[in-house]
Amino acid sequence: MSKMNRRTFLKALGATVAAGSTAAGSAPLFAQKNPHVAVVGGGVGGATLAKYLKIYAPSIDVTIIEPKTKYQRPYGSSEVITGHETMDDITISYDNLRDRYGVKFIHDTVTVIDHAGHKLHTAGGRTVSYDRVVVAPGISFDYSQIEGLDSEADARAKGIVHGWDAGEDLLTLKAQLEAMPKNGTAIVVPPPNPYRCPPGPYERAGLLAQWLEERGDDAAKVIVLDSKNGFTTDVTMLQAWNRLYKFNLPEQAKGLYTEEQLATFKHHEGEPKVDWIMGVMGGKVTRIDAENMIVETEGAGTFKADMINYIPPLKAGRVALENDLADETGWCPVDPITFESTRHADVHVIGDACIAGAMPKSGYAANSQGKVLAVQLKALLLGGEIQTPVYQNTCYALAGNTDYGMFVADVFRVKDGKIVRVDAQRYLPFDAEPHMFSMAATYQQAWMKAFTKDVFG
Amino acid sequence: MRTKRIFPLALLAAVSAGSVFTANASELSAGLTGQMAAQTCAGCHGTQGYIEDSAYVPLAGMDKEHFITAMQMFADGSRPSTLMGPLALAFSDEEIEAMADYFAAFPKERPAKGFISEE
Repeated sequence: MSKMNRRTFLKALGATVAAGSTAAGSAPLFAQKNPHVAVVGGGVGGATLAKYLKIYAPSIDVTIIEPKTKYQRPYGSSEVITGHETMDDITISYDNLRDRYGVKFIHDTVTVIDHAGHKLHTAGGRTVSYDRVVVAPGISFDYSQIEGLDSEADARAKGIVHGWDAGEDLLTLKAQLEAMPKNGTAIVVPPPNPYRCPPGPYERAGLLAQWLEERGDDAAKVIVLDSKNGFTTDVTMLQAWNRLYKFNLPEQAKGLYTEEQLATFKHHEGEPKVDWIMGVMGGKVTRIDAENMIVETEGAGTFKADMINYIPPLKAGRVALENDLADETGWCPVDPITFESTRHADVHVIGDACIAGAMPKSGYAANSQGKVLAVQLKALLLGGEIQTPVYQNTCYALAGNTDYGMFVADVFRVKDGKIVRVDAQRYLPFDAEPHMFSMAATYQQAWMKAFTKDVFG
Repeated sequence: MRTKRIFPLALLAAVSAGSVFTANASELSAGLTGQMAAQTCAGCHGTQGYIEDSAYVPLAGMDKEHFITAMQMFADGSRPSTLMGPLALAFSDEEIEAMADYFAAFPKERPAKGFISEE
Protein backbone atom coordinates (compact mmCIF):
# COMPACT_ATOMS: atom_id res chain seq x y z
CA MET A 1 0.00 0.00 0.00
CA SER A 2 2.74 2.43 0.82
CA LYS A 3 4.11 2.06 -2.68
CA MET A 4 0.75 2.88 -4.15
CA ASN A 5 0.35 5.83 -1.87
CA ARG A 6 3.71 7.23 -2.74
CA ARG A 7 3.29 6.76 -6.44
CA THR A 8 -0.14 8.35 -6.44
CA PHE A 9 0.91 11.13 -4.17
CA LEU A 10 3.78 12.06 -6.46
CA LYS A 11 1.52 11.90 -9.44
CA ALA A 12 -1.07 14.05 -7.75
CA LEU A 13 1.62 16.60 -6.93
CA GLY A 14 2.79 16.80 -10.51
CA ALA A 15 -0.56 16.35 -12.14
CA THR A 16 -1.59 18.74 -14.80
CA VAL A 17 -5.10 17.34 -14.90
CA ALA A 18 -5.90 18.11 -18.49
CA ALA A 19 -9.42 17.08 -17.58
CA GLY A 20 -10.22 20.65 -16.67
CA SER A 21 -10.86 21.64 -20.24
CA THR A 22 -12.96 18.66 -21.20
CA ALA A 23 -14.73 17.74 -18.01
CA ALA A 24 -17.94 19.58 -18.77
CA GLY A 25 -17.02 23.05 -17.63
CA SER A 26 -15.19 22.54 -14.36
CA ALA A 27 -13.91 25.79 -12.91
CA PRO A 28 -10.73 26.35 -14.91
CA LEU A 29 -9.09 28.36 -12.14
CA PHE A 30 -8.95 25.31 -9.88
CA ALA A 31 -8.92 22.55 -12.43
CA GLN A 32 -5.17 22.37 -12.58
CA LYS A 33 -4.87 21.78 -8.86
CA ASN A 34 -7.67 19.34 -8.19
CA PRO A 35 -7.17 15.65 -8.78
CA HIS A 36 -9.65 14.30 -11.30
CA VAL A 37 -11.55 11.04 -11.01
CA ALA A 38 -13.37 9.91 -14.14
CA VAL A 39 -16.22 7.47 -13.62
CA VAL A 40 -17.24 5.27 -16.52
CA GLY A 41 -20.90 4.41 -16.05
CA GLY A 42 -23.66 6.14 -14.09
CA GLY A 43 -25.28 3.07 -12.57
CA VAL A 44 -25.45 2.24 -8.87
CA GLY A 45 -21.71 1.70 -8.38
CA GLY A 46 -20.55 4.74 -10.35
CA ALA A 47 -23.19 7.06 -8.94
CA THR A 48 -22.57 6.02 -5.32
CA LEU A 49 -18.82 6.40 -5.72
CA ALA A 50 -19.22 9.85 -7.28
CA LYS A 51 -21.64 11.12 -4.64
CA TYR A 52 -19.68 9.84 -1.65
CA LEU A 53 -16.38 11.07 -3.06
CA LYS A 54 -17.88 14.57 -3.24
CA ILE A 55 -19.07 14.22 0.39
CA TYR A 56 -15.76 12.87 1.67
CA ALA A 57 -13.38 14.88 -0.54
CA PRO A 58 -15.10 17.84 -2.22
CA SER A 59 -11.81 19.10 -3.66
CA ILE A 60 -11.57 16.10 -5.97
CA ASP A 61 -13.21 16.72 -9.35
CA VAL A 62 -15.52 13.90 -10.31
CA THR A 63 -16.92 13.35 -13.80
CA ILE A 64 -19.35 10.58 -14.72
CA ILE A 65 -19.28 9.58 -18.38
CA GLU A 66 -22.59 7.90 -19.14
CA PRO A 67 -24.53 7.79 -22.41
CA LYS A 68 -27.97 7.92 -20.84
CA THR A 69 -29.33 11.22 -19.46
CA LYS A 70 -31.61 9.42 -17.00
CA TYR A 71 -31.02 6.18 -15.13
CA GLN A 72 -33.41 3.26 -15.12
CA ARG A 73 -32.95 1.11 -12.08
CA PRO A 74 -32.81 -2.63 -12.73
CA TYR A 75 -33.39 -3.45 -9.06
CA GLY A 76 -37.09 -4.03 -8.50
CA SER A 77 -37.79 -3.64 -12.21
CA SER A 78 -39.51 -7.01 -12.62
CA GLU A 79 -42.48 -5.29 -11.02
CA VAL A 80 -42.85 -3.24 -14.21
CA ILE A 81 -43.71 -6.48 -16.02
CA THR A 82 -46.59 -7.14 -13.64
CA GLY A 83 -47.70 -3.51 -13.48
CA HIS A 84 -46.90 -2.83 -9.82
CA GLU A 85 -44.38 -0.25 -11.04
CA THR A 86 -44.27 1.93 -14.13
CA MET A 87 -41.27 2.91 -16.25
CA ASP A 88 -41.56 6.35 -14.63
CA ASP A 89 -41.23 4.73 -11.19
CA ILE A 90 -37.89 3.17 -12.11
CA THR A 91 -36.52 6.21 -13.96
CA ILE A 92 -34.16 8.37 -11.93
CA SER A 93 -32.75 11.83 -12.63
CA TYR A 94 -29.08 12.69 -12.25
CA ASP A 95 -30.00 16.24 -11.15
CA ASN A 96 -29.18 15.73 -7.46
CA LEU A 97 -25.76 14.29 -8.20
CA ARG A 98 -25.03 17.27 -10.42
CA ASP A 99 -26.66 20.12 -8.49
CA ARG A 100 -26.38 19.02 -4.87
CA TYR A 101 -23.03 17.24 -4.90
CA GLY A 102 -21.22 18.88 -7.81
CA VAL A 103 -20.64 15.75 -9.86
CA LYS A 104 -19.97 16.63 -13.50
CA PHE A 105 -21.55 14.68 -16.33
CA ILE A 106 -20.56 13.93 -19.88
CA HIS A 107 -23.30 12.08 -21.71
CA ASP A 108 -21.25 10.03 -24.09
CA THR A 109 -19.95 6.46 -24.50
CA VAL A 110 -16.41 5.58 -23.51
CA THR A 111 -14.76 3.50 -26.20
CA VAL A 112 -11.05 3.38 -25.35
CA ILE A 113 -9.21 3.61 -22.06
CA ASP A 114 -5.67 4.75 -22.82
CA HIS A 115 -4.08 3.19 -19.74
CA ALA A 116 -0.59 4.53 -20.38
CA GLY A 117 -1.79 8.02 -21.26
CA HIS A 118 -4.41 8.21 -18.48
CA LYS A 119 -7.02 9.27 -21.00
CA LEU A 120 -10.47 8.13 -22.05
CA HIS A 121 -11.75 8.40 -25.60
CA THR A 122 -15.45 8.56 -26.34
CA ALA A 123 -17.70 7.67 -29.26
CA GLY A 124 -18.52 11.36 -29.51
CA GLY A 125 -14.87 12.24 -30.13
CA ARG A 126 -14.06 13.59 -26.68
CA THR A 127 -10.86 12.95 -24.76
CA VAL A 128 -11.00 12.98 -20.96
CA SER A 129 -7.86 12.84 -18.82
CA TYR A 130 -7.88 11.32 -15.37
CA ASP A 131 -5.69 10.73 -12.36
CA ARG A 132 -7.73 7.67 -11.55
CA VAL A 133 -10.62 6.13 -13.41
CA VAL A 134 -13.44 4.12 -11.89
CA VAL A 135 -14.98 1.68 -14.32
CA ALA A 136 -18.51 0.65 -13.34
CA PRO A 137 -19.97 -0.67 -16.58
CA GLY A 138 -22.40 -3.27 -15.26
CA ILE A 139 -23.02 -6.32 -17.38
CA SER A 140 -23.14 -7.60 -20.94
CA PHE A 141 -24.93 -10.64 -22.28
CA ASP A 142 -23.41 -13.79 -23.76
CA TYR A 143 -25.52 -15.56 -26.39
CA SER A 144 -22.76 -17.90 -27.50
CA GLN A 145 -23.96 -20.79 -25.36
CA ILE A 146 -27.50 -21.13 -26.67
CA GLU A 147 -28.60 -22.63 -29.95
CA GLY A 148 -31.22 -20.70 -31.85
CA LEU A 149 -30.30 -17.22 -30.69
CA ASP A 150 -27.20 -15.71 -32.28
CA SER A 151 -26.89 -12.47 -30.35
CA GLU A 152 -28.80 -10.06 -28.15
CA ALA A 153 -30.07 -8.28 -31.27
CA ASP A 154 -31.06 -11.55 -32.93
CA ALA A 155 -32.89 -12.72 -29.79
CA ARG A 156 -34.71 -9.41 -29.50
CA ALA A 157 -35.70 -9.52 -33.16
CA LYS A 158 -37.21 -12.95 -32.47
CA GLY A 159 -39.13 -11.61 -29.48
CA ILE A 160 -36.94 -13.21 -26.81
CA VAL A 161 -35.80 -10.49 -24.38
CA HIS A 162 -33.95 -10.80 -21.09
CA GLY A 163 -35.22 -7.70 -19.28
CA TRP A 164 -32.18 -7.93 -17.02
CA ASP A 165 -30.96 -4.37 -17.47
CA ALA A 166 -34.23 -2.43 -17.27
CA GLY A 167 -35.14 -0.66 -20.54
CA GLU A 168 -37.83 -1.35 -23.11
CA ASP A 169 -37.42 -5.11 -22.60
CA LEU A 170 -39.59 -4.74 -19.52
CA LEU A 171 -42.49 -3.42 -21.58
CA THR A 172 -41.98 -6.21 -24.11
CA LEU A 173 -42.21 -8.76 -21.30
CA LYS A 174 -45.27 -6.99 -19.88
CA ALA A 175 -46.98 -7.17 -23.28
CA GLN A 176 -46.03 -10.84 -23.65
CA LEU A 177 -47.44 -11.64 -20.23
CA GLU A 178 -50.68 -9.83 -20.93
CA ALA A 179 -50.97 -11.62 -24.29
CA MET A 180 -50.57 -15.07 -22.75
CA PRO A 181 -53.51 -17.34 -23.50
CA LYS A 182 -55.55 -18.38 -20.50
CA ASN A 183 -53.84 -21.12 -18.50
CA GLY A 184 -50.75 -20.90 -20.67
CA THR A 185 -47.14 -21.65 -19.82
CA ALA A 186 -44.36 -19.13 -19.19
CA ILE A 187 -40.73 -20.20 -19.02
CA VAL A 188 -38.07 -18.31 -17.08
CA VAL A 189 -34.44 -19.26 -17.65
CA PRO A 190 -32.07 -17.93 -14.96
CA PRO A 191 -28.42 -17.45 -15.90
CA PRO A 192 -25.59 -19.59 -14.53
CA ASN A 193 -23.42 -18.17 -11.73
CA PRO A 194 -22.22 -15.54 -11.33
CA TYR A 195 -24.94 -13.11 -12.35
CA ARG A 196 -26.62 -9.86 -11.35
CA CYS A 197 -29.32 -10.00 -8.68
CA PRO A 198 -29.18 -13.61 -7.47
CA PRO A 199 -32.78 -13.93 -6.18
CA GLY A 200 -34.13 -11.94 -9.16
CA PRO A 201 -35.02 -14.61 -11.74
CA TYR A 202 -36.91 -16.61 -9.12
CA GLU A 203 -38.73 -13.55 -7.82
CA ARG A 204 -39.70 -12.80 -11.41
CA ALA A 205 -41.09 -16.34 -11.84
CA GLY A 206 -43.17 -15.87 -8.69
CA LEU A 207 -44.40 -12.45 -9.82
CA LEU A 208 -45.55 -13.89 -13.15
CA ALA A 209 -47.36 -16.76 -11.40
CA GLN A 210 -49.08 -14.36 -9.01
CA TRP A 211 -50.16 -12.09 -11.88
CA LEU A 212 -51.61 -15.04 -13.81
CA GLU A 213 -53.41 -16.28 -10.70
CA GLU A 214 -54.90 -12.85 -10.12
CA ARG A 215 -56.07 -12.77 -13.75
CA GLY A 216 -58.06 -15.88 -12.93
CA ASP A 217 -55.87 -18.47 -14.63
CA ASP A 218 -56.30 -21.47 -12.35
CA ALA A 219 -54.04 -23.71 -14.39
CA ALA A 220 -51.39 -21.33 -15.73
CA LYS A 221 -47.85 -22.43 -15.10
CA VAL A 222 -44.47 -20.79 -14.75
CA ILE A 223 -41.57 -23.16 -15.26
CA VAL A 224 -38.07 -22.22 -14.17
CA LEU A 225 -35.53 -24.11 -16.28
CA ASP A 226 -32.23 -23.91 -14.44
CA SER A 227 -28.64 -24.98 -14.94
CA LYS A 228 -28.11 -24.58 -11.19
CA ASN A 229 -29.15 -26.56 -8.12
CA GLY A 230 -29.59 -23.69 -5.75
CA PHE A 231 -29.79 -19.92 -5.56
CA THR A 232 -29.60 -17.12 -3.02
CA THR A 233 -32.79 -17.10 -0.89
CA ASP A 234 -33.71 -20.59 -2.19
CA VAL A 235 -34.55 -21.86 1.28
CA THR A 236 -37.09 -19.08 1.84
CA MET A 237 -38.34 -18.87 -1.75
CA LEU A 238 -39.09 -22.57 -2.20
CA GLN A 239 -40.88 -22.65 1.15
CA ALA A 240 -42.98 -19.68 0.01
CA TRP A 241 -43.82 -21.29 -3.33
CA ASN A 242 -44.90 -24.42 -1.51
CA ARG A 243 -47.28 -22.29 0.55
CA LEU A 244 -48.48 -20.09 -2.29
CA TYR A 245 -48.20 -21.84 -5.67
CA LYS A 246 -48.74 -25.59 -5.17
CA PHE A 247 -45.00 -26.04 -5.61
CA ASN A 248 -43.69 -29.48 -4.65
CA LEU A 249 -40.09 -29.62 -3.58
CA PRO A 250 -38.05 -31.77 -5.98
CA GLU A 251 -36.41 -34.77 -4.37
CA GLN A 252 -33.03 -33.31 -5.32
CA ALA A 253 -33.68 -30.10 -3.39
CA LYS A 254 -34.47 -31.75 -0.08
CA GLY A 255 -30.90 -31.39 1.09
CA LEU A 256 -31.55 -27.69 1.56
CA TYR A 257 -33.66 -28.47 4.61
CA THR A 258 -33.57 -30.49 7.81
CA GLU A 259 -35.94 -33.44 8.25
CA GLU A 260 -37.97 -31.40 10.70
CA GLN A 261 -38.32 -28.57 8.22
CA LEU A 262 -39.22 -30.92 5.38
CA ALA A 263 -42.06 -32.27 7.47
CA THR A 264 -43.70 -28.83 7.36
CA PHE A 265 -43.90 -28.83 3.54
CA LYS A 266 -47.29 -29.62 2.03
CA HIS A 267 -47.64 -32.15 -0.74
CA HIS A 268 -49.85 -30.72 -3.49
CA GLU A 269 -51.83 -32.79 -5.96
CA GLY A 270 -52.06 -31.63 -9.57
CA GLU A 271 -49.96 -29.20 -11.55
CA PRO A 272 -47.98 -26.55 -9.67
CA LYS A 273 -48.30 -22.89 -10.57
CA VAL A 274 -44.53 -22.55 -10.30
CA ASP A 275 -42.13 -25.36 -11.04
CA TRP A 276 -38.35 -25.49 -10.75
CA ILE A 277 -36.40 -27.91 -12.94
CA MET A 278 -32.95 -28.00 -11.38
CA GLY A 279 -29.60 -28.58 -13.07
CA VAL A 280 -29.36 -32.13 -11.71
CA MET A 281 -32.79 -32.80 -13.20
CA GLY A 282 -31.45 -31.78 -16.62
CA GLY A 283 -32.95 -28.30 -16.53
CA LYS A 284 -30.14 -26.54 -18.38
CA VAL A 285 -31.53 -24.95 -21.54
CA THR A 286 -29.61 -25.79 -24.72
CA ARG A 287 -31.79 -24.49 -27.54
CA ILE A 288 -34.62 -22.06 -28.05
CA ASP A 289 -36.82 -22.22 -31.12
CA ALA A 290 -38.42 -18.80 -30.93
CA GLU A 291 -40.59 -19.28 -33.98
CA ASN A 292 -42.32 -22.34 -32.54
CA MET A 293 -41.84 -21.28 -28.91
CA ILE A 294 -40.04 -24.47 -27.98
CA VAL A 295 -37.33 -24.72 -25.33
CA GLU A 296 -35.02 -27.71 -25.27
CA THR A 297 -33.15 -28.80 -22.17
CA GLU A 298 -30.11 -30.93 -21.54
CA GLY A 299 -31.98 -33.73 -19.84
CA ALA A 300 -35.50 -32.72 -18.86
CA GLY A 301 -37.07 -32.84 -22.29
CA THR A 302 -38.68 -30.21 -24.50
CA PHE A 303 -41.10 -27.55 -23.33
CA LYS A 304 -43.71 -25.68 -25.32
CA ALA A 305 -44.22 -22.17 -24.01
CA ASP A 306 -46.45 -19.16 -24.54
CA MET A 307 -43.84 -16.78 -23.12
CA ILE A 308 -40.08 -17.28 -22.87
CA ASN A 309 -37.86 -15.12 -20.66
CA TYR A 310 -34.33 -16.27 -21.39
CA ILE A 311 -31.66 -14.54 -19.30
CA PRO A 312 -28.34 -15.53 -20.87
CA PRO A 313 -25.00 -15.97 -19.12
CA LEU A 314 -23.50 -12.62 -18.15
CA LYS A 315 -20.10 -11.00 -18.44
CA ALA A 316 -18.65 -7.65 -17.44
CA GLY A 317 -19.89 -4.62 -19.36
CA ARG A 318 -18.52 -3.96 -22.83
CA VAL A 319 -16.08 -1.18 -21.94
CA ALA A 320 -14.32 -3.45 -19.43
CA LEU A 321 -14.07 -6.33 -21.89
CA GLU A 322 -12.72 -4.10 -24.68
CA ASN A 323 -10.09 -2.45 -22.49
CA ASP A 324 -8.32 -5.49 -21.09
CA LEU A 325 -9.86 -5.25 -17.61
CA ALA A 326 -11.51 -8.70 -17.64
CA ASP A 327 -9.76 -12.04 -17.34
CA GLU A 328 -10.71 -15.33 -19.01
CA THR A 329 -13.83 -15.57 -16.81
CA GLY A 330 -15.28 -12.46 -18.42
CA TRP A 331 -15.10 -10.54 -15.14
CA CYS A 332 -12.56 -8.05 -13.77
CA PRO A 333 -10.05 -9.06 -11.09
CA VAL A 334 -9.42 -6.34 -8.49
CA ASP A 335 -7.67 -5.68 -5.20
CA PRO A 336 -10.19 -6.47 -2.43
CA ILE A 337 -9.37 -3.30 -0.46
CA THR A 338 -9.05 -0.62 -3.17
CA PHE A 339 -10.82 -2.28 -6.12
CA GLU A 340 -7.85 -1.30 -8.24
CA SER A 341 -7.57 -3.53 -11.29
CA THR A 342 -4.89 -6.16 -10.97
CA ARG A 343 -4.30 -5.76 -14.72
CA HIS A 344 -3.88 -1.98 -15.04
CA ALA A 345 -2.76 0.68 -12.57
CA ASP A 346 -4.95 3.62 -11.58
CA VAL A 347 -8.08 1.87 -12.86
CA HIS A 348 -10.64 0.72 -10.30
CA VAL A 349 -13.52 -1.57 -11.21
CA ILE A 350 -16.62 -1.77 -9.02
CA GLY A 351 -20.11 -3.22 -9.20
CA ASP A 352 -21.31 -6.20 -11.19
CA ALA A 353 -18.26 -6.16 -13.48
CA CYS A 354 -15.66 -6.86 -10.80
CA ILE A 355 -14.68 -10.08 -9.05
CA ALA A 356 -15.36 -9.28 -5.41
CA GLY A 357 -14.90 -12.62 -3.67
CA ALA A 358 -17.98 -13.64 -1.72
CA MET A 359 -19.90 -10.48 -2.58
CA PRO A 360 -22.80 -10.97 -4.97
CA LYS A 361 -23.46 -8.92 -8.07
CA SER A 362 -26.18 -6.69 -6.67
CA GLY A 363 -27.09 -3.06 -6.35
CA TYR A 364 -26.36 -3.02 -2.64
CA ALA A 365 -22.96 -4.63 -3.20
CA ALA A 366 -22.09 -2.05 -5.88
CA ASN A 367 -23.24 0.70 -3.52
CA SER A 368 -21.13 -0.69 -0.69
CA GLN A 369 -18.07 -0.99 -2.92
CA GLY A 370 -18.60 2.57 -4.18
CA LYS A 371 -18.54 3.95 -0.63
CA VAL A 372 -15.43 2.02 0.36
CA LEU A 373 -13.70 3.14 -2.82
CA ALA A 374 -14.64 6.76 -2.08
CA VAL A 375 -12.81 6.46 1.26
CA GLN A 376 -9.79 4.85 -0.39
CA LEU A 377 -9.61 7.30 -3.31
CA LYS A 378 -9.62 10.19 -0.88
CA ALA A 379 -6.51 8.69 0.75
CA LEU A 380 -4.88 7.81 -2.56
CA LEU A 381 -5.37 11.24 -4.13
CA LEU A 382 -5.15 13.62 -1.19
CA GLY A 383 -2.81 11.64 1.07
CA GLY A 384 -3.65 9.45 4.04
CA GLU A 385 -3.88 5.81 4.93
CA ILE A 386 -5.81 3.18 3.06
CA GLN A 387 -8.52 2.04 5.47
CA THR A 388 -9.66 -1.35 6.66
CA PRO A 389 -12.86 -1.97 4.71
CA VAL A 390 -16.17 -3.54 5.60
CA TYR A 391 -18.80 -4.32 3.01
CA GLN A 392 -22.46 -5.16 3.21
CA ASN A 393 -25.17 -6.57 1.01
CA THR A 394 -28.91 -6.75 1.36
CA CYS A 395 -31.16 -8.13 -1.35
CA TYR A 396 -34.89 -8.05 -0.85
CA ALA A 397 -37.18 -10.19 -2.97
CA LEU A 398 -40.86 -11.07 -3.19
CA ALA A 399 -42.15 -14.63 -3.38
CA GLY A 400 -44.57 -13.42 -6.05
CA ASN A 401 -47.35 -12.28 -3.77
CA THR A 402 -46.40 -8.70 -2.96
CA ASP A 403 -47.21 -9.26 0.72
CA TYR A 404 -44.67 -12.07 1.05
CA GLY A 405 -41.12 -10.78 1.19
CA MET A 406 -37.72 -12.21 1.93
CA PHE A 407 -34.11 -11.16 1.94
CA VAL A 408 -30.49 -12.06 2.18
CA ALA A 409 -28.34 -9.84 4.38
CA ASP A 410 -24.58 -10.23 4.65
CA VAL A 411 -21.51 -8.45 6.00
CA PHE A 412 -18.15 -8.97 4.30
CA ARG A 413 -14.57 -8.38 5.38
CA VAL A 414 -11.17 -8.92 3.81
CA LYS A 415 -9.37 -11.98 5.12
CA ASP A 416 -6.23 -13.53 3.65
CA GLY A 417 -6.52 -11.28 0.62
CA LYS A 418 -10.10 -12.24 -0.15
CA ILE A 419 -13.51 -10.73 0.52
CA VAL A 420 -15.34 -13.22 2.73
CA ARG A 421 -18.75 -13.34 4.37
CA VAL A 422 -18.64 -13.04 8.17
CA ASP A 423 -22.28 -13.21 9.28
CA ALA A 424 -23.97 -16.41 10.44
CA GLN A 425 -27.71 -16.26 9.76
CA ARG A 426 -28.48 -14.57 6.42
CA TYR A 427 -32.16 -15.34 5.71
CA LEU A 428 -35.31 -15.11 7.77
CA PRO A 429 -35.45 -18.17 10.03
CA PHE A 430 -37.37 -21.08 8.50
CA ASP A 431 -39.92 -20.95 11.30
CA ALA A 432 -40.44 -17.17 11.14
CA GLU A 433 -43.94 -15.98 11.99
CA PRO A 434 -46.10 -15.04 8.98
CA HIS A 435 -45.96 -11.34 9.85
CA MET A 436 -42.19 -11.43 9.41
CA PHE A 437 -42.62 -12.25 5.72
CA SER A 438 -45.14 -9.45 5.47
CA MET A 439 -42.70 -7.07 7.16
CA ALA A 440 -39.98 -8.14 4.75
CA ALA A 441 -42.31 -7.19 1.89
CA THR A 442 -42.93 -3.80 3.50
CA TYR A 443 -39.20 -3.24 3.83
CA GLN A 444 -38.70 -4.40 0.22
CA GLN A 445 -40.95 -1.59 -0.97
CA ALA A 446 -39.36 0.96 1.37
CA TRP A 447 -35.91 -0.13 0.28
CA MET A 448 -36.53 0.76 -3.37
CA LYS A 449 -36.99 4.40 -2.36
CA ALA A 450 -34.43 4.56 0.44
CA PHE A 451 -31.69 2.89 -1.56
CA THR A 452 -32.32 5.03 -4.63
CA LYS A 453 -31.92 8.12 -2.44
CA ASP A 454 -28.64 6.87 -1.00
CA VAL A 455 -27.29 6.39 -4.52
CA PHE A 456 -28.78 9.27 -6.48
CA GLY A 457 -30.48 11.57 -3.95
CA MET B 1 -28.21 -25.75 8.09
CA ARG B 2 -28.59 -22.28 6.75
CA THR B 3 -32.13 -21.95 7.97
CA LYS B 4 -31.42 -22.86 11.54
CA ARG B 5 -31.64 -20.10 14.05
CA ILE B 6 -28.02 -19.35 14.77
CA PHE B 7 -27.79 -17.07 17.71
CA PRO B 8 -25.87 -19.50 19.89
CA LEU B 9 -24.19 -18.49 23.05
CA ALA B 10 -20.76 -19.00 21.56
CA LEU B 11 -21.39 -16.33 18.97
CA LEU B 12 -22.86 -13.93 21.46
CA ALA B 13 -19.93 -14.46 23.75
CA ALA B 14 -17.52 -13.85 20.92
CA VAL B 15 -19.28 -10.67 19.97
CA SER B 16 -19.42 -9.31 23.46
CA ALA B 17 -15.72 -10.06 23.77
CA GLY B 18 -15.47 -7.85 20.72
CA SER B 19 -12.63 -9.70 19.16
CA VAL B 20 -13.67 -12.54 16.98
CA PHE B 21 -14.39 -10.66 13.79
CA THR B 22 -11.92 -7.86 14.12
CA ALA B 23 -9.08 -10.23 14.89
CA ASN B 24 -9.35 -11.76 11.44
CA ALA B 25 -10.97 -8.83 9.78
CA SER B 26 -8.40 -7.52 7.43
CA GLU B 27 -4.92 -7.35 6.05
CA LEU B 28 -4.72 -3.90 7.59
CA SER B 29 -3.96 -3.55 11.26
CA ALA B 30 -6.29 -0.68 12.05
CA GLY B 31 -9.90 -1.20 13.10
CA LEU B 32 -12.86 0.21 11.26
CA THR B 33 -13.46 3.92 11.43
CA GLY B 34 -16.95 5.03 12.41
CA GLN B 35 -17.45 6.36 8.91
CA MET B 36 -16.40 3.07 7.30
CA ALA B 37 -18.68 1.00 9.53
CA ALA B 38 -21.61 3.43 9.44
CA GLN B 39 -21.73 3.87 5.68
CA THR B 40 -22.94 0.26 5.42
CA CYS B 41 -26.18 1.38 7.12
CA ALA B 42 -26.92 4.10 4.57
CA GLY B 43 -28.20 1.80 1.83
CA CYS B 44 -31.41 1.49 3.86
CA HIS B 45 -31.22 4.20 6.54
CA GLY B 46 -30.16 7.04 4.26
CA THR B 47 -26.92 8.84 3.53
CA GLN B 48 -25.47 9.98 6.88
CA GLY B 49 -28.59 8.49 8.46
CA TYR B 50 -30.93 11.09 6.97
CA ILE B 51 -34.19 9.60 5.77
CA GLU B 52 -37.73 10.95 5.71
CA ASP B 53 -41.11 9.20 5.37
CA SER B 54 -39.72 5.72 5.45
CA ALA B 55 -40.23 2.38 7.18
CA TYR B 56 -36.54 2.74 8.12
CA VAL B 57 -35.50 4.64 11.21
CA PRO B 58 -33.35 7.74 10.69
CA LEU B 59 -29.96 7.38 12.40
CA ALA B 60 -28.61 10.93 12.07
CA GLY B 61 -28.36 12.52 15.49
CA MET B 62 -29.41 9.38 17.33
CA ASP B 63 -28.31 9.34 20.94
CA LYS B 64 -25.19 7.22 21.30
CA GLU B 65 -26.49 5.00 24.11
CA HIS B 66 -29.79 4.50 22.30
CA PHE B 67 -27.94 3.30 19.18
CA ILE B 68 -25.71 0.92 21.15
CA THR B 69 -28.60 -0.52 23.15
CA ALA B 70 -30.65 -1.07 20.01
CA MET B 71 -27.80 -2.87 18.28
CA GLN B 72 -27.11 -5.02 21.33
CA MET B 73 -30.77 -5.97 21.60
CA PHE B 74 -30.90 -6.85 17.90
CA ALA B 75 -27.77 -8.95 18.32
CA ASP B 76 -28.99 -10.95 21.32
CA GLY B 77 -32.48 -11.32 19.88
CA SER B 78 -34.26 -9.53 22.71
CA ARG B 79 -35.49 -7.00 20.16
CA PRO B 80 -37.21 -8.93 17.36
CA SER B 81 -36.11 -7.99 13.86
CA THR B 82 -36.10 -9.22 10.30
CA LEU B 83 -32.45 -8.71 9.34
CA MET B 84 -30.99 -6.37 11.95
CA GLY B 85 -30.19 -9.28 14.29
CA PRO B 86 -27.72 -11.00 11.99
CA LEU B 87 -26.26 -7.68 10.81
CA ALA B 88 -25.72 -6.42 14.36
CA LEU B 89 -24.05 -9.72 15.25
CA ALA B 90 -21.48 -9.21 12.51
CA PHE B 91 -20.00 -6.09 14.15
CA SER B 92 -17.90 -5.94 17.30
CA ASP B 93 -18.73 -3.81 20.35
CA GLU B 94 -16.00 -1.36 19.38
CA GLU B 95 -17.36 -1.06 15.88
CA ILE B 96 -20.90 -0.51 17.11
CA GLU B 97 -19.64 2.20 19.42
CA ALA B 98 -17.76 3.82 16.53
CA MET B 99 -20.96 3.80 14.47
CA ALA B 100 -22.89 5.26 17.39
CA ASP B 101 -20.37 8.09 17.74
CA TYR B 102 -20.52 8.75 14.01
CA PHE B 103 -24.30 9.10 13.86
CA ALA B 104 -24.54 11.00 17.16
CA ALA B 105 -22.27 13.69 15.73
CA PHE B 106 -24.82 14.67 13.06
CA PRO B 107 -27.70 17.07 13.75
CA LYS B 108 -31.08 15.35 13.70
CA GLU B 109 -32.41 17.76 11.12
CA ARG B 110 -31.06 17.37 7.61
CA PRO B 111 -29.15 20.55 6.73
CA ALA B 112 -30.51 22.76 3.97
CA LYS B 113 -27.98 21.63 1.39
CA GLY B 114 -29.00 18.03 2.01
CA PHE B 115 -25.83 16.61 3.55
CA ILE B 116 -22.81 17.52 5.63
CA SER B 117 -19.37 17.58 4.08
CA GLU B 118 -17.01 15.05 5.72
CA GLU B 119 -13.92 16.66 4.26
